[in-house]
Amino acid sequence: MDMYGHENLRADILIIGGGVAGLTAAISLKEINPELDVLIVEKQTAGYSGKACRGGGVLQYFDFDKITPEQFVEYHVHNIGCHLGDQELLLKYVSMNNHMLDKLVEWGAKLPKRADGSYAVIPTGPMTGIIGVDLDITIRLRRTAEKMGVRFLDKVTVSDLLTAGDKIAGATGYSILDGTFYTFNAKSVILATGSQNYRIGPMWGSGRGDGIAAAYRAGAEMRNPEFGNFAQLVRVRSHREVVYGENYMYNQLDEHITKNFRSGPEPDISSTAIAEWFMQMSMARGPIILKPENHGGSLESMWDRPFGSPFWKLNEEWADKVDEDWEVCPMFIGEQSPVKVDHSMQTTIPGLYAIGDASYCGSAAPGAVPAPPGRNRGSGILNAVFAGIVCAQSAAENANNNSLPPIDKTQVEDCMTRAYAPLLRESGCDAKDVIRYIQKAVGPMERSVYMSDHRIVTALRYVEKAKELAGSMKASDFHDLLACHEANAMVLSAEMQFRAAAMRTESRGWFLREDYPEMDNKNWLKWIIVKKEGDTMKFSTEAVPYDKWPIKPNV
Amino acid sequence: MIDTKHQIIFNAEDCVGCKLCYKACFVDVIRWDEEKNQPVFKYVEDCEHCFWCEALCKKKCIKVIPDFASEKLLQTFDRYL
Ligand SMILES: Cc1cc2nc3c(=O)[nH]c(=O)nc-3n(C[C@H](O)[C@H](O)[C@H](O)COP(=O)(O)OP(=O)(O)OC[C@H]3O[C@@H](n4cnc5c(N)ncnc54)[C@H](O)[C@@H]3O)c2cc1C
Ligand code: SF4
Ligand code: SF4
Repeated sequence: MDMYGHENLRADILIIGGGVAGLTAAISLKEINPELDVLIVEKQTAGYSGKACRGGGVLQYFDFDKITPEQFVEYHVHNIGCHLGDQELLLKYVSMNNHMLDKLVEWGAKLPKRADGSYAVIPTGPMTGIIGVDLDITIRLRRTAEKMGVRFLDKVTVSDLLTAGDKIAGATGYSILDGTFYTFNAKSVILATGSQNYRIGPMWGSGRGDGIAAAYRAGAEMRNPEFGNFAQLVRVRSHREVVYGENYMYNQLDEHITKNFRSGPEPDISSTAIAEWFMQMSMARGPIILKPENHGGSLESMWDRPFGSPFWKLNEEWADKVDEDWEVCPMFIGEQSPVKVDHSMQTTIPGLYAIGDASYCGSAAPGAVPAPPGRNRGSGILNAVFAGIVCAQSAAENANNNSLPPIDKTQVEDCMTRAYAPLLRESGCDAKDVIRYIQKAVGPMERSVYMSDHRIVTALRYVEKAKELAGSMKASDFHDLLACHEANAMVLSAEMQFRAAAMRTESRGWFLREDYPEMDNKNWLKWIIVKKEGDTMKFSTEAVPYDKWPIKPNV
Repeated sequence: MIDTKHQIIFNAEDCVGCKLCYKACFVDVIRWDEEKNQPVFKYVEDCEHCFWCEALCKKKCIKVIPDFASEKLLQTFDRYL
C-alpha cells in the first residue's frame, strides 16, 4: 500500500493545526519546558492559514477597574449562554483577559496602543470593549514558535488519530502535494483544527471539520453539536457581512422590523432576527433592507493596523463595486465546534486535547450559542489563546509522565486504506456532489436556524442523500482527496447537528424552534452528547451541573 | 463556496519567486512550480477570494477577480437561491 512513500515521525507533543490556537499551545508548551519536542502539522501553511489572519482583527477587552469577571459571567449566563454554559470555565476565560493580551504582545503580536502606553480600547457596551490586532498575528506567533524550537510540517493533512488502548498514541495523515503517508507517534496530541463551516461563507471556508471528524472516529465524545448553526446578515451582492445590521432592518412597507424581535439593545445578532427575516420574506414583505443610522465608520483612524489594511481595502473596493443598495439576506456560517473537553481542554480520550474553534461549544463555556463569535465579538481569537495556554500545562505533564505509546500497525494500515480509498476507486462522484447536498440541508435559514420538526426531517433527508453518495467519491489528485475527506466530515457534522436539533424540543439562546418556542428548564437543562459506538452515532444527554455554580436558573 | 467562477490573473514577468502567495493561500489554490520558481494557480475554482495572495505580493503580480454572482446564498426564496 506504500505507493506514495511513508514517513514515521515522533514528538513529545503533536499539534494538529497551525492557526492561532495551535501556535499559542506550541509557544506555551515551550515556555513550560523548552526541552519538549513539539511538532505542528498543518494542512496549509502554519501562520498563514486559519482564520485569525482573515478576520475582523478585534479582541474582546474587559476593564477590570469598571467590572468584575463575576459580573460579566452573570450577564452572560442570563443573556447569552441561557444557563447552558459552564460558569467556572467562562469565569476563568474572562479573568485571564488582560494577561492574554499582554502575552500576545510578548509573543510579537501588534496591538494598537495610545500615546500613554495603554491599549487603544473602544467600548462596545457597559461591560465590554474591543481592541484591534493586526492580521499578521499568526505569522508573528509562528516566528516566535520557530525561535523557541517548535518544528513545523506544512501541507500535510491529518486524516485520523491513533490510539493505544483507551489513550492517544498519535495520528496519520498525508501530504497534499505528493501523497506521502505520515505516521505520527506522540505522548500528547493537541487538536487545533478549527470549526465546521461547510464551505459556505467565503472567509470561513477553511473550517471544514475534518479534525472534529477524526476525533469522533477515534471515539471522542462531542457536546452541543446542535449549536453549529451561526448565521449573519450579508449584503446580497458582495456577501459581505454587516455586523450589527440586525438593528436597522426594514421591510418593503418601510416598517422597522427590528422592533418585532427586539425591545432594547442586545449584544449581537440573534436567531430571532433571522426568523423575522424569514417571516417577512414569506409574507412577501421583502426584500429586507438596512437603513444604518451610522455606517459604522472606519476604525482605521483609531487603530493603526498596517499589515491588514491592503487586505481590508481590496475587500471593500470589490464590495463597493457591486453593492448598489443595502439589501440583505442571511448567510449560513456554521461554526460547529463540538469536541467535548474538560477544564484542561482534555477530550474524553486521555492525552488528546482539543482547543480553539474545534472545541469552543464542546467546552460548554459559551452555553446556548454557536461560537465564535457566540454573540460575544472578539472572543474567537482570545478563546483560542485561552485554550492554548490552558491545555499546555496538562499536555506537558502528560508528556512528562508517559513514554511514547506503542503504535498499532493494523490501525495504521486501516487508516491508510481509508485515506487513499477515493483515489484508488475506478470511478465515482465528485466531492462537490456530496457537499452540494449538505449545503442544501444547512444553507436555508428555516432548516438550520429557524427550525421545526418537519424542516429538520427535510434537512436530514438531504444529509442521508449526501451520506449515500459519500461512499462512492472519486478523487482525481491529492487536492481532491482532501476535498473528499472534508466532504465526509461535513456529512458527519451535519448529521450530528440535525439529529441533536431534533432532540432538543425547546428554544434556548440562539437555538430556535418554531414548534417549541419556549425555553424548557424542566427538561432541557442538559447537554446533548454524541459518541461513535461501533458504526452507530449514539446520542445521550448530560445534566448541566448548575447546582455547583453561583447563578441558578428558575426550574 | 463551491461552483464559483472567480478568476486570478498572474503576471509571470514581474514575479521574483518570493513564494509569499503560495504560503498565503489557506485553501490550496496556489501550488509552486520548482522549475520555473513561480506560483501555479492550479485550483482557482476553490478560491475563497480572501485577497491575501494579491495583498501580499510586493511586485503586484496577482489580481483576483471575484465573480460574486456565482456564489449562492442558498435560501429558498427565488432571488437568493
Ligand atoms: C471573517 C472572520 C472574521 C473574524 N473576526 C474575528 C475577530 O474580529 N475577532 C476574533 O476574536 N475572532 C474573529 N474571528 C474568529 C477567529 O478568527 C477564530 O475563532 C480563531 O482564529 C480560531 O482559531 P483556531 O486556531 O482555533 O482555528 P483556525 O484558525 O481555523 O485554525 C485551524 C488550522 O488547522 C488547520 N487544519 C484543519 N484541519 C487540519 C487537518 N486535518 N490537518 C492539519 N491541519 C488542519 C487549518 O488549515 C488551520 O490552519 C473571525 C473569523 C472569521 C472567519
Ligand atoms: S508573491 Fe508575487 S512575487 Fe512573490 S512569488 Fe507570488 S507572485 Fe511572485
Ligand atoms: S484570494 Fe485567497 S483563497 Fe484565493 S488564491 Fe488568493 S490566497 Fe487563495
